[in-house]
Amino acid sequence: MSFLLGRLGQTVLVLLVASFVAFALFRYVGDPVNNMVGQAASMADREAVRRALGLDDPMVVQFARFIGNALRGDFGISYRFGQPVAALIGERFPATLELSLISMVIATGLGVPLGVWTALHRGSVLSQVLLAVSLVGVALPTFLIGIALILIFSVGLGWLPSFGRGEVVALGGWTTGLLTVSGLKALVLPSVTLGVFQLALIMRLARAEMLEVMRTDFIRFAKARGLKPRAIEYRHALRNTLLPVITIVGLQFGNVFAFSIIVETVFQWPGLGLLVIQAIQFADVPLLAGYLVLIALCFAVINLAVDLAYVAIDPRVRGSRAAGRAT
Amino acid sequence: MTAARATLASWWDGDLLYRFRRSPVAIVSLLVAVLLFAVALGADAIAPYDAFDPAAANVVDARLPPGSAGMYGETYLLGTDPQGRDMLSAMIYGLRTSLMVGLASVVLAALVGVLLGLVAGYFGGVLDAVIMRIADVQLSFPAILIALLIDGVTRTALPREVHDALAVPILVFAIAASFWVQYARTVRGLVLVERNREYVLAARVIGVSTPRILFTHILPNVLGPVLVIATINLALAILTEATLSFLGVGLPSTQPSLGSLVRIGNEFVFSGDWWISAAPGALLVLLSLSVNIFGDFLRDALNPKLAS
Amino acid sequence: MNALLQVENLRVEIAARKRRLVAIDDVSFEIAAGEVLGVVGESGAGKSVTGTAVLGLLEAPAVQAGGRILFDGRRIDTLSEEGMRALRGKEIAAVFQDPLTSLDPLMTIGDQLTETMLTHLPMTRAEGEARAGELLAEVGIPAPRERLQAYPHELSGGMRQRVVLALAFCCAPRLIIADEPTTALDVSIQAQILDLLRRMCRERGTAVMLVTHDMGVIAEVADRVAVMYAGRVAEIGPTRQLIAHAAHPYTRGLMASIPSMRRREKELTQIPGAMPRPDAPVAGCAFHPRCPQAFARCAAERPPAFPVGAARVACWLADPAFEGVPA
Repeated sequence: MSFLLGRLGQTVLVLLVASFVAFALFRYVGDPVNNMVGQAASMADREAVRRALGLDDPMVVQFARFIGNALRGDFGISYRFGQPVAALIGERFPATLELSLISMVIATGLGVPLGVWTALHRGSVLSQVLLAVSLVGVALPTFLIGIALILIFSVGLGWLPSFGRGEVVALGGWTTGLLTVSGLKALVLPSVTLGVFQLALIMRLARAEMLEVMRTDFIRFAKARGLKPRAIEYRHALRNTLLPVITIVGLQFGNVFAFSIIVETVFQWPGLGLLVIQAIQFADVPLLAGYLVLIALCFAVINLAVDLAYVAIDPRVRGSRAAGRAT
Repeated sequence: MTAARATLASWWDGDLLYRFRRSPVAIVSLLVAVLLFAVALGADAIAPYDAFDPAAANVVDARLPPGSAGMYGETYLLGTDPQGRDMLSAMIYGLRTSLMVGLASVVLAALVGVLLGLVAGYFGGVLDAVIMRIADVQLSFPAILIALLIDGVTRTALPREVHDALAVPILVFAIAASFWVQYARTVRGLVLVERNREYVLAARVIGVSTPRILFTHILPNVLGPVLVIATINLALAILTEATLSFLGVGLPSTQPSLGSLVRIGNEFVFSGDWWISAAPGALLVLLSLSVNIFGDFLRDALNPKLAS
Repeated sequence: MNALLQVENLRVEIAARKRRLVAIDDVSFEIAAGEVLGVVGESGAGKSVTGTAVLGLLEAPAVQAGGRILFDGRRIDTLSEEGMRALRGKEIAAVFQDPLTSLDPLMTIGDQLTETMLTHLPMTRAEGEARAGELLAEVGIPAPRERLQAYPHELSGGMRQRVVLALAFCCAPRLIIADEPTTALDVSIQAQILDLLRRMCRERGTAVMLVTHDMGVIAEVADRVAVMYAGRVAEIGPTRQLIAHAAHPYTRGLMASIPSMRRREKELTQIPGAMPRPDAPVAGCAFHPRCPQAFARCAAERPPAFPVGAARVACWLADPAFEGVPA
């Protein structure tokens, strides 16, 4: 329990810091009054707007109000698009989430088995080759992978679309590209592009973890117990390897979200990343603030999921039932 | 810093050199990296044309494929860009910019990170808690996002001309801001071990001053891991700069880096003028790969836990 | 010779950068059925490596470079990986130093016991679980049936070492390699675990190779002792004879370092100097640089094992042809 509480405290801290940065952006970077009434407004008008916005209140009150608004999903109106930030984000969020999820599924689904396999077959040629390839995967810039894939599969071969999301289906407030052929085809190149770096990274980390576990005393003792290699490798080593790997995958999910900005730019994918790049280029502060809080929230959710996974897998985190626990 | 020199010297004639000599991959990667550094340093002498001189650009020669001859008899080994600039020259200057930004941000991050790590590890207490908490929170956000955000904030706060003029320092700061954490954590962990070693206790007993203990006794012992992180981070920093420039939030087009060159070329991918993005892209990959592979070698060679 | 385990001229080398270091050199000993052989020496003397070699668990860069290991008259060092695995845990079991790290943290104690038995013995899962409960009772764990569901971290260090003993004994092995089984435990618990080990072996007629650096433990438990020094056996013989009339100067030094009730008047002594490391071998007798009685021959020639009573002593002083140090 103390583990979960500690982690929760950390998450709340991250959320608060992110909210404060967002608030500070909103409040102090640029002049909110200017942005609302324009340069030509009279002093009296400005003063009225100032008061209406509550900009004269103490900072703490303003921050509290900001948090209150944020909790209701109200981040104000985007300077650039003239629409509520929440609506803009809500509209773009599904595209980014689908892209990130699919690429993470690809990266984890291939990365973990490959990492484990290369750790168990350390000396083999294929393992060395995979390791070398993974180093290239880590060293390649994401945007170049995207451009290369477009050059080959869109421009050269003409097999797959190079931009957009294809046809999407609306399910309630959610638009999905997973249910149409064109939507799925459009997803291939971006998700692969986004997944390559993560795949290489997860594979390398899974390999390192597996090697580490194979050196532990309990594996040596399992060998001394005469267990079969398969049982040692999969029942004991793999399960212990998965714990840190889960943490890494959780952390990387946040990175995938950030890297989707790059991939969305390359593939003109109509998601949050594309929106944020525009927000940065045009100093669209409300949109930036909203995005920042959303990202922090995503991290909080991911962290919570990782912690729950730990609780499910690791008995040490679950807390002890028996007495006589070692100190 | 004789102790530091001694530490470095002992790696050099010991394990490190031995492993280096036996690893063709490490030798090649170091050679390539050194070659690229040399080209970047000698950009003014090596580049066939001055990439910054508007007179050297000729719009008539725009988007010529590699190996073309220009209007005035120039040869463009790697073709020209949309403004008629020689790609090869632009790339050499771009390489210089990329390396400069990468190195500067690594140095800045390492300085800040090592210092904070030393302080946090040696003094402990509230200072340690505060520094490490900040590190934890920051680690929750991806590097590229922090860099984007810093760029976004400065863009909003500063007028455009000022921002463009300060683009390089801002970029260096933005990248360094997300990389210091790793140094701080590593150094702190090592210091926690080192500070209870006999030689440190002995130094303290005979009244050696704290800064002296930190910098002449403890620092040399944590330099190895710092060197490894710095090498791997150099590749990461170069990639981050390239990515930011590619996204159009890094360096202005008047000061091209490899990333912004790829960005320019990206607009012409569909018209078949592949070289405008492929050539600087390939150079970027070469740079990133060579530094990365060498960093990987260093990590394996200097990490006794991984050595079998 | 009705020895259960025979080790003949064992040599283990460690492949280093340019040369091969000799970790174990010409080590010979045997253990009879039901006998407890203590193996003592300073850390780095080669005790654990010898135990590891008997278990067939040497890992690169360490390799067996010579000699033979026979179990029950059958050569086991040339067995296939699978053949040796089938023997480990069933005929030759092991207990390692650190009970805190010997058990898989993610698996219940009951499952680890059952898993070991199902690997080696023809029994059903239900039979295995029932037997696991009995075993926990035999090693003195209170409420054994409930503890089957416990994870290692829920038990104290002493309890965990009892579980490790249960794991070692679960397939009724004929030999147990116990590598510093009590070193990591509290002093108050060491005696309990040692008692338990001795009792269980006596009841079942299990032989033990007890590796330790603690002469006190040996004096209490072992029938015979092998004293190792720098990868060689310095002296081997019945415990009583070694304690009362040690022939090798090194053994005498070791004995002088044991606190004893009877020799209260004497001060504890320490042997000056340090044991040579494998990367800096010493010519002649490895002990001669530290030996108070060394003479010219010790530095030039390596002493073979000479019989002294029921013991064998590798020292020129024990040479029947020895006629005093030449002047």
